[in-house]
Amino acid sequence: MRPDPKKLLEWIKPSPPTKEERECMKLLQPGDYEIYTEKLNNFLLESKEIFIKLGVSSMLRSGDVVTGIYTPTGDMVAAWCGTYLHAVVGQLPIKYVAETWLNEPTVGCKDGDIFYCSDPLYGGIHNCDQIVVMPVFNDGELIAWTNAAVHQPETGACEPGGMPLTAKTRHDEGMLLSPIKIGENFRLREDLVEMCVNLMSRAPRMQAIDMRARLSAADRLRQRIVSLAQEKGNDFVKGLFRRIVIEAEEGTRRRIKEWNDGTYRAVTFIDIVGEKHRLVRNYLTLHKKGDQLIWDFTGTSPETDSPQHAMPHALAANIAIHLMSYSFNDLPVSAGVLAPMEFIVPDGCMFNPHYEAAQSNSAPSCHGGMTLGTICMSKLMFDSPQRELVASATGNTGVGVLVSGTNQWGVPISDFLAFGLNTEGHGARTDMDGVDAFGFSHCPTGRAPDVEDIENEFQFFNLAAKLSRDSGGFGKYRGGSGTEVIYAVNYVDYALYNSHVKGSKVRNCIGLFGGYPPPTLPGIEVKHTNIWEKMRRGDKDIPTGAMQLITERTIQGDYEISSIFKKTHVLENGDLWVVFSGGGGGYGDVLERDAGMVMDDLRKELISHWTVENVYHVAYDHETLEVDEGKTKQLRHKERGNRISRGMTWDEFEKEWSKLRPDEEILEYYGSWPDGRKTRDIIRM
Amino acid sequence: MGTKRQITEYLDIDLEKELWCCNRCGHELISARENYKKGCRVYVRKDPNTIYNSPLKGPFSFAPDPTWAMLVEFYCPGCGVMVENEMLPPGHPVTHDIELDIDKLKEKYLSSETDKPARK
Repeated sequence: MRPDPKKLLEWIKPSPPTKEERECMKLLQPGDYEIYTEKLNNFLLESKEIFIKLGVSSMLRSGDVVTGIYTPTGDMVAAWCGTYLHAVVGQLPIKYVAETWLNEPTVGCKDGDIFYCSDPLYGGIHNCDQIVVMPVFNDGELIAWTNAAVHQPETGACEPGGMPLTAKTRHDEGMLLSPIKIGENFRLREDLVEMCVNLMSRAPRMQAIDMRARLSAADRLRQRIVSLAQEKGNDFVKGLFRRIVIEAEEGTRRRIKEWNDGTYRAVTFIDIVGEKHRLVRNYLTLHKKGDQLIWDFTGTSPETDSPQHAMPHALAANIAIHLMSYSFNDLPVSAGVLAPMEFIVPDGCMFNPHYEAAQSNSAPSCHGGMTLGTICMSKLMFDSPQRELVASATGNTGVGVLVSGTNQWGVPISDFLAFGLNTEGHGARTDMDGVDAFGFSHCPTGRAPDVEDIENEFQFFNLAAKLSRDSGGFGKYRGGSGTEVIYAVNYVDYALYNSHVKGSKVRNCIGLFGGYPPPTLPGIEVKHTNIWEKMRRGDKDIPTGAMQLITERTIQGDYEISSIFKKTHVLENGDLWVVFSGGGGGYGDVLERDAGMVMDDLRKELISHWTVENVYHVAYDHETLEVDEGKTKQLRHKERGNRISRGMTWDEFEKEWSKLRPDEEILEYYGSWPDGRKTRDIIRM
Repeated sequence: MGTKRQITEYLDIDLEKELWCCNRCGHELISARENYKKGCRVYVRKDPNTIYNSPLKGPFSFAPDPTWAMLVEFYCPGCGVMVENEMLPPGHPVTHDIELDIDKLKEKYLSSETDKPARK
């Protein structure tokens, strides 16, 4: 019964229009398409607002959600994004239900039914992402589906937070729901709700509330579509939906056709496998031919006994984040955009693992793929009318840090710290710096939650939160800065903390056209501190940022500098820890950055004096911060000369470089060197 | 510039000569059918702290671990502009990142009456 991964991948693309749909499209009069497309967008906006206002977990409240409208066959028509990846994969459980349960006498599908799912093997992303699906009937006819999806930060897995670094197989990941009917007559079945809530005993309140929030959002959308059908007729709605999908496909193909035919490649590296620092490779070869894009991930490292995997359809949905927020952002957010895409994802690589593999870190495992998509598309689009959409990679650290235990109100919680998650730096562009603390790599519209809200919900104190100095990749245009937050366990004796953030050894975010990648991110914890004593005394030297914390060390305690990823461990009252969100990649040569912009960065404490002098080669007065234009020109001219002198010819470089190889220990999971082919089988229990 | 197309921030292709050229100084790098990086000066930045200058030292800091990855920088031999860089594990092959269909490109821009001049 479980769908084949190839079928799931194929399902992200729209089905061909039926003869009936083509007839229905003729009902649209001039202006109808524009008016009613906008009306659907308003429906989506309303359902999103309902969703966010009713939910409780932090990603939900940050807006990292989707609500979507789908054709009767499950093709995506429109979605509020939110999380584009959820919009794309939202099609798959619907197509599964339509194909499998619609005419199955023991299940069936009627007006008021509610379906629920979370299993990636049935089209989800990973165990955490719970999706509610509702059929939309009018006058007895199935005319659409709606959905609402958001990450649930507890799944009853072997570690709190649903994304355990220690998971070896899917059996360590807690609740994984194939699409089930969880309600009838527009109401959830309380016995099945209780089953889910019981499985989430680390955070039962969140599960109980967020399930209802999903349903409320999907049902409001359903009601609006029914109203539209009652006003305009079912055939009009079906015609409108198909026209939207076709417009998106035709627009996408037209645009691709304008671009230069060729092959574009990029590679990036990830530094964690399970709970170990190990090197794996993500590789993309993007072929552009005519009006088609072929995404070939051959060369990506093999599957492992870790949770860092994703299904091919999940990888494609993550690639769609770039497509829908950059390259085709002006086209409808619909399945039509994906029609000209083919994805090649070899069996046995980390993006196409065995069905028993753990996949709970699916979304963060795709960050490398997301970087590759942005870089290849930018190289493709530079010589095109879409040059303004060229950008280097977003931070793509996936700031997944989770706190669990009991909060200050005695309520059990297990939730993301969504501030870092929603404040990564954006990639720099051809004509401007990346946006500082722009949002979440999976959700361009996500916003960091309010600090007071966070402190109310959790069991800690926000000591400091600010843009992180030198965190954006340097370049002619600077990658957007990431953030740094210092937290202190408060109100309770202890809290549990884990992090699946990457990038302490090497970042999977890279720059573009000579722009530098952003810096790596260490893990910082300070235990057994005197923070409360200092605050009671009103000391003036309490640090206002992570750099000050670690360089001045005015807070007494045991300082631990280690990896930023952490399996679940205990932090006691007064213990501090730092969360970094990654900056974005830089664009272009640092020596071409306007010296005035360099000084602006310095004034805003986004870069250091050292960086001004040694990376940007700007001469200036350290007191007035006035640029010495003449001397800067000389310094930069000299540095260009130095580059030519120290640079080797290709043959000289190859001779030296080809002798090198990383240590065997860090290549444990890499696959064959250097091409990342599968070299062994994984035995899973 | 009539037969040049700007392909990246720092690279043009001269369609008649079929050459990668520096967009800033015009230096001719290598055949447009080759990896342009082979026509550049190449520098391996073995000490990442020359760019990232981490206030923390040791195995976990704000600079990549050079035993894991190094910056490989590609400069124009004519003017020294940094055309591109890559963050690569030691010894990992350099990426042939842009491989255009040169024949199609020439057909598109040389034979068309609507040929647009290269954008600067």
